[in-house]
Amino acid sequence: MRPFQVYVAKDSEHAVSLLCEHAPRAVILAGGTDLLVDLKHGSKPWDVIVDISRAEDLNAITLTGEGLAIGARVTHTDIMRSPVIRESAPALIDAAHSIGAVQTRNLGTIGGNLMTCVPSMDSGPALLALDAGVTIRGPEGLRRLPLAELFVGPRKTSLAPTEILVDIVIPKHNLGKPLVFLKFGLRKGQALALVNVAAGCRLNGGKVWEPTIALGAVAPTVIRAQAAEAYLAGRAPSEQNLSETGRIAAQEAKPISDFRASADYRRDLIAVLVARALRQACAGTEIEQAEMIA
Amino acid sequence: MTDIAITVNGELRKASVPSETTLLQLLRDNFQLTGAKLGCDVGDCGACTVIVDGAAVNACLMLAVQAEGRDIITIEGLANRQVFHPLQQAFEESGALQCGFCGPGVILSAKALLDENPDPDVYEIRDALAGNLCRCTGYTKMIEAVQNAARILRGEPEISSRMISR
Repeated sequence: MRPFQVYVAKDSEHAVSLLCEHAPRAVILAGGTDLLVDLKHGSKPWDVIVDISRAEDLNAITLTGEGLAIGARVTHTDIMRSPVIRESAPALIDAAHSIGAVQTRNLGTIGGNLMTCVPSMDSGPALLALDAGVTIRGPEGLRRLPLAELFVGPRKTSLAPTEILVDIVIPKHNLGKPLVFLKFGLRKGQALALVNVAAGCRLNGGKVWEPTIALGAVAPTVIRAQAAEAYLAGRAPSEQNLSETGRIAAQEAKPISDFRASADYRRDLIAVLVARALRQACAGTEIEQAEMIA
Repeated sequence: MTDIAITVNGELRKASVPSETTLLQLLRDNFQLTGAKLGCDVGDCGACTVIVDGAAVNACLMLAVQAEGRDIITIEGLANRQVFHPLQQAFEESGALQCGFCGPGVILSAKALLDENPDPDVYEIRDALAGNLCRCTGYTKMIEAVQNAARILRGEPEISSRMISR
């Protein structure tokens, strides 16, 4: 690796002041699973590393009045072991478990996964399907934006070079919403998604209510399949309707062909995975309702 | 240069290294602990796996400065001159290694698993070893060895593959 200077930030405010001092030649280091690869093999001109892996205000998982706040440097392993996430947003656990392997899940963070912003990120779809927001700290203080507005393109976010991600907030009304994450990769371990999907809904009088469908690895960023959502809303969760929803989602996506899979294959995967995730989510909803009646 | 003090296999070790030094380079080049291997150097192969504060990590993906003050276990910390660690004993008895390059990483991943979960099922063992690429063994005997080591560590009689084959 070419030489650089490392500054250890004690909290997010300290990190921002270090970024202000050294931007744009400074970069944030959290888990390092992406950044170290970039530092070894990339061509970015960074010569200052702001290490937030010890920042005190970025590693909590907290239920607040607003919802569930997950600190930016919470690791994928932390997510898998969190009782509150298991209770309120278990799809995040499936997503975290699908990432890399134990060693990279022990280091890699949810904030890093979002900020690296590769289209195949596994943390994105479930959070996007739950309408998550992100808190950003910059020189002027904190601001909040919808997660969808963080994503700009492959490896590109909307953050300024002097801003950092503080936490991800899942709104209260979506905690406990039936949501299923499915990933299709070429292997179980150490594999990027060819397609990943998070889809969920509630059932109201036998009709689908508030369906949300998010897709990864099939567009420049993780996206919501809005036309598919609009089609399914208010319809019965029949096999035919779920298949049609999957078909519409596949049309909305813009997958590319690469050495892992062709665009056509990815479209087929979207249709199958969206229908499968919705089927599972609806089954979960019915079970919960039956339990409530009992 | 950055001054670093970490605990390695129970011993406080110090070094002064450039900031761009990885934990793997620190262990191998400064402390001459060459059990952790340099394989892919990008976090795919797991040959550099060490245990940091109880968690298996890729030493190639961690800067040495990030390890400051932390507690590291490498393969050199498992055996002493008299006895093998039960994992090493079980790996030897099962013939679970062939070329052996992946071995230190595999055994440390297995140790991190057994430290937290003394009775893992096959799927939990496979999940724990998914980040350690082995191109020789096909993993079957490794999984058997981890199960045997778990039995030894729980104080139960081990089931030796030699005994099975007889």
